[in-house]
Amino acid sequence: MTKAEMPSPRVTPMVSLVLRHGLAVVSVAIALWLALLAQSEDINRLQFPPLQLAVAVTAWYAGGGPGALALVLASLAFNYFFIPPLYSPAIKLSDPLFVVFVFFGLMIASFGSRRRRIEQELREARDKLEVEVAERSQQASLLDLTHDTIFVRDMREVITYWNRGAQELYGWGPEEAIGKDAQQLFQTAFPIPIDDIRGELLRTGRWEGELDKTKADGTRVAVASRWSLRRDEHERPVAILETNNDITDRKRAERDIRTLNEDLEKRTNELQVSNQELEAFAYSVSHDLRAPLRHMVGYTELLQKNAPPSLDEKNRRYMTMILESAKRMGNLIDDLLAFSRIGRAETRKTIVSLEQLVKEAVHEVQPEADGRNIAWTIGTLPELYGDRSMLKIALVNLISNAAKFTRMRPQAEIEIGSADGKDNETVVFIRDNGVGFDMKYARKLFGVFQRLHQTEAFEGTGIGLATVQRIIHRHGGRVWAEGLVGTGATFYFSVPQSRKAKS
Amino acid sequence: MIEFGRILMVEDDPKDVELTLTALADYNLANEVVVTRDGEEALDYLYCRGRFTTRTSNNPAVLLLDLKLPKVDGLEVLQQMKSDEKLRMIPVVVLTSSHEERDMVASYKLGVNAYVVKPVDFHEFVNAIKELGIFWAVINEPPPGSVRKKELN
Repeated sequence: MTKAEMPSPRVTPMVSLVLRHGLAVVSVAIALWLALLAQSEDINRLQFPPLQLAVAVTAWYAGGGPGALALVLASLAFNYFFIPPLYSPAIKLSDPLFVVFVFFGLMIASFGSRRRRIEQELREARDKLEVEVAERSQQASLLDLTHDTIFVRDMREVITYWNRGAQELYGWGPEEAIGKDAQQLFQTAFPIPIDDIRGELLRTGRWEGELDKTKADGTRVAVASRWSLRRDEHERPVAILETNNDITDRKRAERDIRTLNEDLEKRTNELQVSNQELEAFAYSVSHDLRAPLRHMVGYTELLQKNAPPSLDEKNRRYMTMILESAKRMGNLIDDLLAFSRIGRAETRKTIVSLEQLVKEAVHEVQPEADGRNIAWTIGTLPELYGDRSMLKIALVNLISNAAKFTRMRPQAEIEIGSADGKDNETVVFIRDNGVGFDMKYARKLFGVFQRLHQTEAFEGTGIGLATVQRIIHRHGGRVWAEGLVGTGATFYFSVPQSRKAKS
Repeated sequence: MIEFGRILMVEDDPKDVELTLTALADYNLANEVVVTRDGEEALDYLYCRGRFTTRTSNNPAVLLLDLKLPKVDGLEVLQQMKSDEKLRMIPVVVLTSSHEERDMVASYKLGVNAYVVKPVDFHEFVNAIKELGIFWAVINEPPPGSVRKKELN
């Protein structure tokens, strides 16, 4: 059992004071009893020592105050009982024996009490020291608990403390590391001259940076290092505490990320270049392919105009065919260019009123359906978050298709509506009672140049739905269709809702 | 080659030249057209240099300018004209196959007076050329120093 664990009865200062002064009274009383006993037995010269002993015992064990009390009591008793004239309370200062008694008592009391004080101080100092030692050793064992690498070296770089984290990171035990020169042991590679580091350390008391060091097994390790300077009470630097964190993995990850970023940048540049090439190509197609077409049409029309009236019907039809083909080619070029432009253009998304957009799209399609009987049913339409002009192109394409494929119906019906889809998306549908399509070809509908009808029946380039799909994909949505031959078709597209567009 | 006329046409494609002239012929404007085949030749004409040193110094009433031209392209011609005190008043009509928005924006930024995309359809093309010819060479009052109709008569 250690001292700290022993149950020690605590005495309050008040009780202790009473006890100590009680000791004075009791010891003087006992001494007086002994002295009187000696006197009654006629043993002379034995009255002096017991009383002096009582003073000494009190001063020794109870300190200065009780010692003084014991001295006063003992002197009074000695004066009363043993200095002639006996049993007189008057203080007989003229008697040399009394003076000697008081003088002796004073000496004994002061020595005793001083000794006690010194003993008490020593005890206090020892207790304080014990507490401090306990705290220190607890702190040291705490430092040992941490996984962080911590070690201390003196100003001559000699390692004086080495925790378990340091052992785990570097591989040397404390018995191998302590006493060694730190920089020789680690073969540290400093990013800046060590004198600069020491300069900063002495100036500010701390330094931190990244260092390269060697482990016991010879491998290198990158550490984030923090140095703190310890000074003694005279402000002289005495030790450097260093903590290290292994950042080798982080460094490697950083390097990997950098490489990836460079790759990405390279690829982005390549993409940009190929995008520019594509744009130049589209420009050239737009400009150069159109010119010969215009010439074909121009000269054919001149030929038609200048042809003699005698030219037969067959040859006139040939000229018409040339013109039709040229026009179809022109439409193909226009649609292809529009399609490629949608892939390249940046989307400028805003909140768009679908109702307004559908109105505009229907208005645009109206001339194609001139003179026809179409019953339009347009439901309540929400707001969408998307690129207005692109969404309009998609709607015009879908509505124009609905108008086209209901052409043979005496009463065409086209319905445009919307519904909330799953996962916060808005679904828009365009339903018609036109020729419809066979569901087994549904996948082919949205491909470029894919057509399910013959050109004689329904004109078209086969790019419209591909354009719709591209626009909706660029909005992060989906397109799909349902149809039944001879009954009609419904085309759907979904657009993710933005939080702002929710009504 | 006619040394001066009310319409200066800059067009590298001979077929386009022929079709344009045919269209203008219906209004007897064809013989008022001076044709240059690239941007450099057009600038030579405007500055009376090269083979045009001896032409009368009057400016054309309108310039029909293609954009895609050999040597000096249409936008460069336009830019040089609009930055020249003497030439900036000549009305310029860009006549091009290009639908590209950036060409249109660039042309208007340089101060073009009209921008016309050549229609693929021949009827539309003929109509466009005729209307352009009549408007700029007959109806529009050209700036001072231009070739005028009465001078030709």
